[in-house]
Amino acid sequence: MNNHFNLLLIFSALVSLVFTFIAKYGTRERVKYFLYLFGSFVLLSILVGWLMYPFPF
Amino acid sequence: METEPVPQKSPPSQEISAPTTAVAAETNVGKVIGACVAAALVPGLGHALLKKWDRAVVFFVSIVLLFVLGLMLQARLFGPDFSDLFSILKFTADAGSGLLFWLPWFGGVGVGDPSAYAYDFGNVFVYAAGLLNMLLVVDAFDISMGRKQ
Repeated sequence: MNNHFNLLLIFSALVSLVFTFIAKYGTRERVKYFLYLFGSFVLLSILVGWLMYPFPF
Repeated sequence: METEPVPQKSPPSQEISAPTTAVAAETNVGKVIGACVAAALVPGLGHALLKKWDRAVVFFVSIVLLFVLGLMLQARLFGPDFSDLFSILKFTADAGSGLLFWLPWFGGVGVGDPSAYAYDFGNVFVYAAGLLNMLLVVDAFDISMGRKQ
């Protein structure tokens, strides 16, 4: 639990799952959409994290 | 020569359809309100009432997991506090989970520990659970209105 990256993965998976089941119907479509959302969550979070790195918040 | 006026008779289909439509509308309103209230109280229950079983199970498991994980990460449950905008927003996001929020809150669970390693993460998990549940209420509304499968 004390690992921010693991928490990011869990959060992304659960939220992507809910969005997928709201938006898509077929199994194949759901799997594709879930992977797309999950990947976007994780990659964009890492990217935004790096972009924010120089700023002293 | 005078002719007798023929009484205008409405088509039989209209006579039958009026009460039938009223009953259908009444049933539909009950179904819509029931689904929305159930969805607001327990994640996934609205979809279960609408017999969308796969979605109901996924929504229930996902949102309960988000909420419970949030509490395990020492998140704080923000109660009704209308002193400033952020307090209102935090309370609104938290309370979106329905009974999942109110039962622990009344039980004194979710005091929160700001010095905990993942306190902020925990809060985000709880906010997300509430906000997603609000989205599910809208989804249940759309399904019960027939706008969505």
